[in-house]
Amino acid sequence: MTSLRILFIGGLTSYRALFNWLTPWVLIPTFILSPIVHILLFAYIGRTAGVGDDRYFLIGNAVLNAAIPCLFAMGNTIGGERNQGTLPLLISSPAKRVPLFLGRALPVIVNGFVVAVVALGVGAVLLGVSLPTATWPALAIAVAVCSFSCTGLGLLGAAVALRVRETAVMSNVIFGILMIFAGVNVPLLALPGWMGAVANWLPLTHGIEAARQLAAGSGFAAIRADLFTEIALGVGYAGLGLLLLAWLERESRRKSTLDTA
Amino acid sequence: MKGISFAVERGELFGLLGPNGAGKTTTIKMLITLLLPTSGRAQVLGYDVVKQAREVRRKVGYVFGGDRGLYERLSGLDNLRYFAELYGVAPREQRSRIGELLEMVGLQGRENERVEGYSRGMRQRLHIARGLLHRPEVLFLDEPSIGIDPVGARELRTTVKALVDQGTTVLLTTHYMFEADELCDRIAVIAGGNIVATGTPEDLKKRVSNGTVTEIEVFGLPDGVVPAVQRENGVRSAVVEERGQAQVLIVHAEPGADVTQAVLVQLEGSRVGRLMTREPTLEDAYIELVSAA
Amino acid sequence: MRIVRLIGITWWLQLKMRSRSAFDGLLSLLWPLFFATTIFLMFRQGNAAGPAMLSAAVGAAVMGIWSATSTTAAFALQMERRQGTLELLVAAPTSFALLIVPLTLSMATIGAYSMIATLLWGRFVFGIHITVDDPAMFVVSVAVTVIAIGMLGFLIAIASVRYRTAWALGSALEMPVWLICGLVVAVSSLPAWVRPISWMLAPTWGMAAIRDSAQGGGNPLAGLAMCLGLAAVYGLIGWFLARWMVHSARVNATLALS
Repeated sequence: MTSLRILFIGGLTSYRALFNWLTPWVLIPTFILSPIVHILLFAYIGRTAGVGDDRYFLIGNAVLNAAIPCLFAMGNTIGGERNQGTLPLLISSPAKRVPLFLGRALPVIVNGFVVAVVALGVGAVLLGVSLPTATWPALAIAVAVCSFSCTGLGLLGAAVALRVRETAVMSNVIFGILMIFAGVNVPLLALPGWMGAVANWLPLTHGIEAARQLAAGSGFAAIRADLFTEIALGVGYAGLGLLLLAWLERESRRKSTLDTA
Repeated sequence: MKGISFAVERGELFGLLGPNGAGKTTTIKMLITLLLPTSGRAQVLGYDVVKQAREVRRKVGYVFGGDRGLYERLSGLDNLRYFAELYGVAPREQRSRIGELLEMVGLQGRENERVEGYSRGMRQRLHIARGLLHRPEVLFLDEPSIGIDPVGARELRTTVKALVDQGTTVLLTTHYMFEADELCDRIAVIAGGNIVATGTPEDLKKRVSNGTVTEIEVFGLPDGVVPAVQRENGVRSAVVEERGQAQVLIVHAEPGADVTQAVLVQLEGSRVGRLMTREPTLEDAYIELVSAA
Repeated sequence: MRIVRLIGITWWLQLKMRSRSAFDGLLSLLWPLFFATTIFLMFRQGNAAGPAMLSAAVGAAVMGIWSATSTTAAFALQMERRQGTLELLVAAPTSFALLIVPLTLSMATIGAYSMIATLLWGRFVFGIHITVDDPAMFVVSVAVTVIAIGMLGFLIAIASVRYRTAWALGSALEMPVWLICGLVVAVSSLPAWVRPISWMLAPTWGMAAIRDSAQGGGNPLAGLAMCLGLAAVYGLIGWFLARWMVHSARVNATLALS
């Protein structure tokens, strides 16, 4: 029961406490305008370079933008506590770690999902890309799966934040890597072989591929394997994150690196 | 702020006391042109803080307590150079002025280290040096001694006294009553946005508690004694403070009244430790003034 | 004289401070490289070569100057507010606008590092031939563009004095300027209604001058004149805006967090 409360109520409370972006002045530019311009930018670059079509860039970049809340908000669950000086209070609390951190992940997943869906919808209208209504439910599932797996990676980032101070820099770097490797703007086949190999182990790669196939009219059966891989990667990263959290927490107590200043 | 009015003489060290949220910092920020008053007028050195903000800024210095207000990633020296530039300290004079101030606050030899590695006390001293770069005629010190150790606090008081001796006018806010008592020529107490008293520390002590304070150490104070003491003739107030094993009964007496015997009668049967009669402190005066407001 | 000295010293100290921060220093080198890499990969996939590749490289390089400025300009004053120095800046007798100009110029300068990094990245990782037709003009064009971008950042920074959430707006302007100012996509390929906006933005003209001086042809001087003229206009607007914003911040007590 306590764990369930920590999971839901604790998660939501900390989400609201750590992010001052729940105001329209932050929400609209960050989560609506930026993702849309991101899509337009790459669609136009694609036209200039003579590659892909608008739908390709629409889907890749809309889904990529789910990663922004997933990576930054998750990474900030530790970094933000450190900045506020509440990290030692959190670590010295008796709350079980798994519900504590998974609870923090839930609102973040929803956030990422909504960002990507809005970007997808508005981007489609602006670029005049038609996405048949029948594909929307399956697309939504693919987007949700991507938000989940990115948040798993974000949880790993949160764990690293116990040791690394510049969490935002790290989240930016991960975002940049996803943008290049995960087949967002450049198909895996056009990448050097080693990059493609790395991409297969990153979140988003399989989910974006699934979303593109769905938009092109494939049935759900065709993409089931991709979605399962995406989910498995998310679970894997989240599990690694929780393990690393437990280990670093012990280490930081031993070596007193859990400073708050 | 409701309506406050006070005047500080040139060369005076004026203290502004009051509880958290009383409006001390707001008052200072209006005087140093960071906030605009919604109504009313204020002048610093004859300059209006709204209409002649630039003139005011040239003549005043501002130092606040805590460890904010410095560029962490720059060295102490670079922090001073930056503000020397902002305050238009003549380039030729800068080097000697900065050297002089570093020596005064005891940071010479450490000036090339980054501020992020400074202790609280060092930061505070750097702050003071920063506030004095342009030789301000009026210095505003907002809780400058907060969080520094006793040795540092004493050095700070010495520095402030020296500045006043050299003719600087100082407006100080603090929560440490002995500090205000030692330093201030005059004090204003603010509570709830109003000034509830003004005067020298001596005036305030007399005005409020014209009488003595008796402190009696008791081991195991029986119930009902405090109300009984409060009912005694000549007793103005009686409170209990826990101090470790013992309780200390603090009795404020009316002027001229000697209540010690009467109180001891009430304590018959209890183990009584030390007994002390003293003159009221500024803290006694402050607490009475603020709780009455 | 005093103003030149003030701007010079403040710019230098700000640059020192920024190059010591992982966020401003390291990230402003890396972040544009992620975009440049994506863009190079896309152009390579499209079999672009020669002038098209050079044009993409130069454009991606200028993106870095703007991104170092736009995101940090809005954030910088929030940082000053957090560390309690914003009040000290306002309380100083020097005009606030004059303190902010060197601040954003230092960001644009950091961005110029990333420009060099991007060009080297393009040269050595993607084998793009970086040939510059008129090197002197190229350097002048870059310098002018850095100043103009610094002035545009100045406008953003000024807005954040009064509004504590303005940082989000600053970050949100990063990509629109990349797109609208023709850094990697020709202005002529944008919808017609967007083009007047492009013309009002100094980076559009700076970019044109940089491209002209790199590729030869065109008239870089005309672009430079427009770029400088617009930068001066931004300065003027910012000057008045600063007075108004600081006044408003003093009325509404938004200079401090507490």
